Amino acid sequence: MKKGLILLVIAFIGISVPQACKKPASNDTTPTETNGFDKKAMLTHYADDLIMPAYAAMQQKIIDLQTASDAFIAAPSAATQATVKTAFTAAYQQYQRVVAFQFGPAETALLDVYVNYSGGLDYSFTTAGQLTGFSVDTLAIENNISTGTYNLTTVNRSNLYAQGFPALGYLYFAPNATGKFATNGPARNQYIKDVVARIKSLVDKVASDWTAYRTEFIANTQTSNGSPIGNIVNQLAYQLDMLKGPRLGWPLGKQSNGVVFETKCEGYYAGNSIALATENLKALKKLYTGENSKNGIADYLIALKKGTLNDEVLAQFDIALAKLVLIPDPLSASLVSQPALADAAYKEVQKLLTLLKTDVASATAVQITFTDNDGD
Amino acid sequence: MLHRLRLFRLLLQTMTEIRSTAPAATTFFTRWLLPSAPVSITPLITFRIVFGLLMLASIIRFWWRGWITSVYVTPKFHFTYWGFEWIHPAGAMGMHLVFGVMALAALLITIGLAYRAAIVVFFLAFTYVELLDVATYLNHYYFISLVSFLLIWLPANRHYSVDTLLRPELTRLTVPAWTIGILRFQMAIVYIFAGIAKLNYDWLIDALPMRIWLPAKSHLPIVGSLMYEPWVAYLFSWFGAVYDLFIAFFLQNRTTRPFAYVFVIIFHTATAIFFPAIGVFPYVMMVSSLIFFSANFHEKLLSRLPFYKSTTLNTYGGGTPYRYRYTSLFAACIGIYVAIQVLLPFRFLLYPGHLFWHEEGFRFSWRVMLMEKSGSAYFTVKDPATKRRIEVSNTEFLTVLQEKMMSTQPDMILKYAHFLATHYKKQGLSQPEVYGEVYVALNGEHSRLFIDSTVNLAAQPLSWKHYTWVLPYDKQH
Repeated sequence: MKKGLILLVIAFIGISVPQACKKPASNDTTPTETNGFDKKAMLTHYADDLIMPAYAAMQQKIIDLQTASDAFIAAPSAATQATVKTAFTAAYQQYQRVVAFQFGPAETALLDVYVNYSGGLDYSFTTAGQLTGFSVDTLAIENNISTGTYNLTTVNRSNLYAQGFPALGYLYFAPNATGKFATNGPARNQYIKDVVARIKSLVDKVASDWTAYRTEFIANTQTSNGSPIGNIVNQLAYQLDMLKGPRLGWPLGKQSNGVVFETKCEGYYAGNSIALATENLKALKKLYTGENSKNGIADYLIALKKGTLNDEVLAQFDIALAKLVLIPDPLSASLVSQPALADAAYKEVQKLLTLLKTDVASATAVQITFTDNDGD
Repeated sequence: MLHRLRLFRLLLQTMTEIRSTAPAATTFFTRWLLPSAPVSITPLITFRIVFGLLMLASIIRFWWRGWITSVYVTPKFHFTYWGFEWIHPAGAMGMHLVFGVMALAALLITIGLAYRAAIVVFFLAFTYVELLDVATYLNHYYFISLVSFLLIWLPANRHYSVDTLLRPELTRLTVPAWTIGILRFQMAIVYIFAGIAKLNYDWLIDALPMRIWLPAKSHLPIVGSLMYEPWVAYLFSWFGAVYDLFIAFFLQNRTTRPFAYVFVIIFHTATAIFFPAIGVFPYVMMVSSLIFFSANFHEKLLSRLPFYKSTTLNTYGGGTPYRYRYTSLFAACIGIYVAIQVLLPFRFLLYPGHLFWHEEGFRFSWRVMLMEKSGSAYFTVKDPATKRRIEVSNTEFLTVLQEKMMSTQPDMILKYAHFLATHYKKQGLSQPEVYGEVYVALNGEHSRLFIDSTVNLAAQPLSWKHYTWVLPYDKQH
């Protein structure tokens, strides 16, 4: 046994020493490579150059939306409706640029739940009557308006489906949206004001909370579940799951044997589903690359000598984006008239999801659960 | 009920202890399997106390983190063990009650009150919980089940316990040597098989998965910047393998023991720092390794505790050694137990294909922190009669933990597929077929198709035989 141990020790030294000695040589040629990767710099870049500016822009877009919205409800007409559509689209698109930052302050505030409820991945699209995906609970909205008693902070599915961007889409752009102000006008005005104000207060809170959260965010360079790097990688996978499911595949009928649920498309009433989905996927790519800053997850992969995987992920982002933009808006019509286009995009999104959820998560050793594990 | 309990206790007592001083007739076999020379009881006493305390702490930790609810109450579906499909969670109240009872049992074990009953209850409750869901399988939970089973048969309460305080005549200061030997054997099994498992190409030659896991630890003070260095990954891999293979022998050897225990502390502290996600495992091993120490060591250790009466004083009838009745039956049982422990981890040899890929014969074999494996699994349910086709959202049925575990393990994929078939049959599909498109990445290699996506999993039986629908593995270079 002792001989065996000695042999093993010799073998170990034999392997580790040459490795250790090789290091200075390579140190001269590529100094950054051997020093590894500055995760704190990456997180600082994410906080300062991506996340916080995106929330600041979001705040501004909501102010613009509020102005246009007030003008619309003061004098509902085709002209004011067109103005609010521009502001609404801009704000909703900006929301797609922050949606993947659903951790820290946004998670505390339940921003995605209140502002753009997706129904979650655990509710299947099997029956048309159910509130799933990006449904709008028009009955609840009209009921809230007629009774005047509602509390937008209550968390129940019906209430969540009666507020945020989807509800505004209905209130601004549903058929005969302007005509509906004829009855119960002041209550309708107030409801719209309240829904916009609720979005504004949530966005303002998240934006201001980031100032304090930033310190914590950039200081934690772990990859455990709930860590910033863990959150970023997990969000990339989660958002692609959302794109594959509620945003694209489920309305297309992937869960319902091809029965299309066109009213459950995100942005159904404004008819800008694909514009939103495209913005969403572009934002995910930006989150992945860190915007060519040498300080993104992409660059971390390169530092981990996973350059080939990184190239593949980048290429797949572009393929998925290319397929996505081929689908004409409104998606609700395209799902029926040209389902093959949505199907093609769906397939590419799934490939991208597999790469991020399996290969990238594995390469970065990110954990997706809190519970104990002894290494698979 | 009470009557039955009393009967049960009597039965256990008569089965295990013989009061007569006449030596039982021994064959060569019993002598070999059941070395009965009387040795000090003190190592067993320490073991009972630290085991009880550690179990109590880990139950409280599990409860505190809300895992009772998230792991055993929330999930709509559980991955049962084959043959144990009849084991079901007991609901929110029931599960908390089970953990409460388990915590109480752990406390009773620690103080040695109603020890026999407590350890039986603990073993049953703990094993029940572990059998609820394969997704929660951890090697150290298996270890705890085994150790608590062994402790049922060991007289760990016969000194320095409330039981002996109440009934001093129960005190025994010496026990047969095998009662300590069997625990040492169990420890050695864990270490040696963990070491053998590391003797593979990926671990030794490529330093995988350490090369993947260590760069994620660059936040650690002092050593953080070294985490990207390949030689550090080799150091970890080789040190880990050598440690696991030989530590039990160095702990067993009297002269090397103190030095070896320093290594135990260093090694498991390091794993606790580097891989906090493995939970209580390092602490289990650190305290359990104390069983290797001598009676003198334990005597000194225990004498620091309050109310401890030295075994050397021998003032209250403890002079009689603890003796077992039915030694040949015990010898036979231990022989079987030892054989199972030695053979079970080798059952993978009966299967073709790469063990890490197919995972046939992977569990219950002390393969800890051995590979980096992750996957994505997409399932489609088809009804040939109506041509219906449904793509499944796993989140509808599985927790994040369950989905992660299922995505890389063939038997769990099959269990889930069978569940989906049953579920969609209830939903009105007459003959649901289930197809899986599963991608798996092993040890940093590119993800690839894991199972044959054209095979109807609903028609595939659970089996001990090799699953031919899992695609073969070829190493990428």
